Amino acid sequence: MPKTGRQPESAQPGELLSQLADEGETGTLYVDGVPGGTVHLIDGRVSYVESPAAPGVGTLFTASGRLAERTWRAAVEAGGADHRVGPLLVEQGHLMQSELELCVLAAIYDAAFFVLTPDAVPVRFAPGELHWLGRVVEVEVAALERETSRRRRVLDEILPELSVDHAPVTPVRRPPVQRVVLTAAQWELVVHADGRRTAADLSHLLGRPGYATLQELRRLSAAGLLRDTMEPDPPSSGGESSGEPSAVDIRSAEPPPAGGDKSSISTTAAIRRQGGPRRPRHAAPQPGSPDGAGSLPATPDDAFLDRVRAALKALR
Amino acid sequence: MALPGAVGASLVDCTTGMALGSAGAVPGGDGEAAAAGTAEVLYAASARAPFASARPHDAVEDLIVTTASGYHLLRTVPVPFGSQLVLYLWLDRPDGNLAMARRRLAEIADDLMRTPPDAPAGSAA
Repeated sequence: MPKTGRQPESAQPGELLSQLADEGETGTLYVDGVPGGTVHLIDGRVSYVESPAAPGVGTLFTASGRLAERTWRAAVEAGGADHRVGPLLVEQGHLMQSELELCVLAAIYDAAFFVLTPDAVPVRFAPGELHWLGRVVEVEVAALERETSRRRRVLDEILPELSVDHAPVTPVRRPPVQRVVLTAAQWELVVHADGRRTAADLSHLLGRPGYATLQELRRLSAAGLLRDTMEPDPPSSGGESSGEPSAVDIRSAEPPPAGGDKSSISTTAAIRRQGGPRRPRHAAPQPGSPDGAGSLPATPDDAFLDRVRAALKALR
Repeated sequence: MALPGAVGASLVDCTTGMALGSAGAVPGGDGEAAAAGTAEVLYAASARAPFASARPHDAVEDLIVTTASGYHLLRTVPVPFGSQLVLYLWLDRPDGNLAMARRRLAEIADDLMRTPPDAPAGSAA
């Protein structure tokens, strides 16, 4: 039942979407603005959402190495016209239904965070227009709206400031603390934040959800480790009284894991001064690091170990 | 529910704190809050506690919280793309078998993401 396309109007995307859902519509809602995107409806339920700020299913699967580029491209070519790229990948045995569903679900909520802005923006609905991915999962509009506003709240709890959300980001040249602990996901961002890439660029490059990237960037910004490139570098609190510039020595307890964010890594950034440190080095002991091993709290004395051994023995 | 003593279970996306699916009851009765809390606990264990990164390529596999009346099991699900998922299981203490539940949860986690054995060459890069 094709209808005539509605004229562009200015509206809150979520409001119009709820209306379309109530009417059981099928089609595509185009949302203008920055970053904007599209919401795809089948019978009043959301089947997919796309936004330039959020990597799509294809990027998520290929950037992680789960699907080869050519496998993905072949599926889009073969199944795009019939709007069934997703189901085709499962039929051909490239993906399991469960992982496709999880990935699509994550991508829908991720893109919706950017598309469903609380502001009124130009929107246009194209009835009957289907997405090439096809029907994989269905999400209720109300659930999408609820989750989107929850995520907005969580983000503001981390740091109520938008500066690192859209602008190119860069790590500060000198950390404001002597010991820096990063998760693997944060490390990836710091390593790839080159002062030109924005949150959206980093998400696509690393194949990480856009919202997860914003979360980590805000955490890093809140810790004073990363900033919007346009901002001037904050003055270092490391004390540069000596004429000799401080050497920043990033000592990694272990090499960064090759495969994703399963584990977290810890790095110690110790600011050394020429002519001997003013404070003893045990400020940041690291097990396994040669420097930390000799300092005070890193190795417990033997008597302590004996007590622990005895206590454990008593448990059996 | 297949496991004796199981009160509730859910699958949580820990990168966002969102429940992707759930069955049975949730502690506190608020699914949204429970999912966000579950994500925070896993984050604390994997990102804040150094024991999760004691060795290269090590990672949190599961977390077990015991209370006077129950067992709470969290099992991480390795996902190749983007997110970090965790399976959560709430067991009643008098009827639950912790060891059995832990094994079953690990099986479920593996099944969720197992690559089909007949995948044609070239599907994985």
